[in-house]
Order: sequence, then structure tokens, then C-alpha cells
Amino acid sequence: MSVDRTLRHVKAIITGAKYLFSGPRMTIMYPDEIEDLPDGYRGMIEYDWNTCIKCSLCAMICPADAIKMYISKEESEKEKKTVKRPGINYARCIFCGFCVDICPTNSLKFSKIHDIAYYTYDEHVLPPEKFAEGIKPMYKGRKVRAILDERRGIKYEPVD
Amino acid sequence: MQIQDIVSLLFKPYIFVPLVFPGLITAFIVLLIIIWLERKIAAKVQLRYGPLYIIKPLGGVIQTVADLIRYLFQEPIIPRDVDKLAFLLTPVFLFGLAYLPVVVIPISPSYYAFRSDLSLLIALALTTLAPIFTVVMGWASNNKFSLIGSVREGYLVISYEIPIFLSALSMAILYGTLDLVEIAEAQKEIWGILLNPVAAVNMLVLMYMSTSKFPFEIPEAESEIVAGPYTEYGGILYGLVMGASYVKLYLLSLVYSILFLGGWNPLPQSMLSNPLISGSVLFIKSFILVAFGAFLRAVYPRFRIDQAISIGWRIALPLSIISIFLSLILVIGGVRFVC
Repeated sequence: MSVDRTLRHVKAIITGAKYLFSGPRMTIMYPDEIEDLPDGYRGMIEYDWNTCIKCSLCAMICPADAIKMYISKEESEKEKKTVKRPGINYARCIFCGFCVDICPTNSLKFSKIHDIAYYTYDEHVLPPEKFAEGIKPMYKGRKVRAILDERRGIKYEPVD
Repeated sequence: MQIQDIVSLLFKPYIFVPLVFPGLITAFIVLLIIIWLERKIAAKVQLRYGPLYIIKPLGGVIQTVADLIRYLFQEPIIPRDVDKLAFLLTPVFLFGLAYLPVVVIPISPSYYAFRSDLSLLIALALTTLAPIFTVVMGWASNNKFSLIGSVREGYLVISYEIPIFLSALSMAILYGTLDLVEIAEAQKEIWGILLNPVAAVNMLVLMYMSTSKFPFEIPEAESEIVAGPYTEYGGILYGLVMGASYVKLYLLSLVYSILFLGGWNPLPQSMLSNPLISGSVLFIKSFILVAFGAFLRAVYPRFRIDQAISIGWRIALPLSIISIFLSLILVIGGVRFVC
């Protein structure tokens, strides 16, 4: 019994030593290496100002009340009626994708960017003009792709 | 002339050994490096990188220096209900006592701060004083986690202290002396670990137990009782109490290397005249032991308190008695060392 236990201790130490000297590393060095995301990734939402038909469907479907319609003053005066455009609050958005699905003209699209940080709570709220500006990536690292490897588990390969 | 005097005074053994090498300054550097190494080894075993960004080519080696600066400039908070005197003084005593055994550790046959017939006993006795202050610390903190942690420390002390003494003294029986210089000199031909492997393994495990290294990290037990006796400490006081166990492990490793790993052997006689070379050999041996203790953190989970106590009483104590009999058999069987 105690011999068996001692052997198991030795085995544990040998396994640890094996990983210490030859083990792989699964860390992705995040700001320097950025994972290449698949198509259909639900990142932050891009808004096309020109193709939007102001139908308000996105604001109606939004389950988290993240998208709201804002009255556009300039356009309202020009067209002599109330014109509304969508704006988004990223503090509320749950990235469910309902707005993208329901948009009849595909004016709302997913980007592949998810790692944006804001300093204040107010910066989370994007009115239509800011929403239409689009999103710039914060970091410009090497793009890598995750690959399942028999021996190592996860492996990252650079995307060319 | 005065500068020369000061330099020659610095290299006097009774100043150089406790203060510079292998004493306070070296212990401090070991402390900084071993904490970094512990995180790095654990990270490598767990397929991560560990601290990396401060000096990237060297793997973030001065991360601990950055941590130390943070500890130094952190506001020291003294809770209202603690016993202030005991709360403030125990970290200092703990660290001081952890590093005090260095006064009897020789780094070459002729270079030591203090030589005594009983230097092995002095070193071991000084290491046993530190747990008292851990218990005082738990009482003074006026916190349930501190109290539970220090009581656990008390339980562990009584279960490792007897076997660690017995296995160290079995080597004293074998060499026929308690003087660390003579013990190291007696291992010219064959090292103690080969003569009495039972005592060697036993003392190695108990050494990690006495400094609460990982399988026995019971008093601190972060996931159970926050940080054990150290819960209420912050800033540089926490740095001191956390460093104390590492320094104690470093000092016990020095004693262990002299007892079992031959001290400064196998150096040729001509190189022994330079205490720095022989000291470096001793230092490298003990540093490997400390690093192995850091590596164990990546391998083991934590034992329960009852499992650790049963290891102390049911396994370590019989093994230490066996090691004493082994030494007696070897001595009676005619193994003699030139002393």
C-alpha cells in the first residue's frame, strides 16, 4: 500500500518534470498575436448610413434595449417629417444578433472586433453618427489561427 | 587607508558570512529569484508563460523587484483591534529568526562566522523558534482566519519537529560529531545521502513541511483561510512574513546540503582555500533544493491537516527512528570517518 503510494508520488513528480522541460505552451500572446476569427463571428456591430431605410425594426427586436432610435434633426428639417436613425448602447448590448438578422437591407453587420475598451460609461453609448463611423481595431498584432493538434492540443499558426 | 580598513573588515568571516554570502544579501537575492522561479515553473508545467513583460528577453526576471517596490510603497494598514506591539514586531522577529541560523553555517573548512561543537544543534534549534512567532502573529491579528492558520501551524510544528531532529541527529551519530565543518569534511569519500538515504528522504520532505511548501501549504491555505496567519498584513510587513518561509527553506537547504550532499565536496584540496568557490558549490546545491521545493507547487495539491499530521507521526517518525538504527548499524559495523 505505502509502496504503491510512494510510486505514485514519484510518477507525479516525473510527469511534472516532463511538462517542465518539454511541455507545449497554449498561451496566445494577446496584443502581439490576435486570433483570426471565423466567419459569422458576432463582434461589435457596423452600421451603414446610406442603405438604412429607418424602419426601426432593429430597435423593436432588440431584447436588451441596446438599440434606440434617435431623431435626426438635420434630416427631419430637410424632409419635413420626423426621421429616426438607430444608435447603440454597448453597455446594454448582448451581441445576440437579432438586429443583424432582422435588418431588411443588411445595413447592420457584424464586425470581427470585440476588444474595445471605453474609459467612461457615457462612451458606451453611440448615437447614429458615431455608430456609422465604424469600429477601428485597438491592436494591430500578428494574426494567428487556432489549430487542433494530436500531440499538443491547441496550436497557433500565423495566418498569411 | 580607512576605506581599505572597512573593506578588510567586510571580508572578515564573522561579518561576511552572516551579512553577504551566504547570509542576508544572498538570502535576499535568492528570495527575489525563487519567487519569480516558482511562478515561472508553475506556469511552464501548466502550459503558460508566467511573468514575462518586465525584461522580456530574460523572461521577466525582475518581476519580483517590481512587486517589492509595490509592497514598499503600499500603505501599511494596522487594523483597529489588533495587539499593536505584537502585530508590528512579529514579522521582524519571524524574518530575523528565519535567517539567524546562517551564523553557524561554514562555507569552507576554514571560513566560518562561528564554529562550535554543537553547530548542527544550534542551527536546528534556531529554526524551531520561528513558528512561535507565527502563532503569536495569529493571536495578535484578532482575526478568525489568522487564528485558524496559526493553530494549524502549531499542529504541524509538533508533527514535523521531532522527526526532523531525529533524522538530522542520525547523521550526527553516523559522523560522530555535531560540528557542521567536521560533518562536511567527513563526506570527502562518500556523501551522506548514499550512506543513509532514509534520513535524507525523510528530512527533505520534512524540510518542505516545516516551511509550508506546497504539499504542506496548510497554514496559509489560500482557498480555505485567505492567507492564514498573514491575513491582516499588508505592504512591507506582508513582504517580510512571506519572505520568512522562503528564507527558512534556504537556510534549511544549506544545512541539508552540508548534512547529506557533502557540503563543498567534491572540490579538490587546492580550491578549498578560496571560500567563494567552496561557498558557491554549497550555494548551488542548496539553491537546487529550494528550486525543487518551488517545482513541487506545480505538481501537488494541498494535503488536509489530518493527512499532514498522520504523515508526520505515522510515516516520518518511524522512518527517522529507522534512520537512527541504520546509522547505528553502520557505526557498529565499522564505518569510520576521519575527523
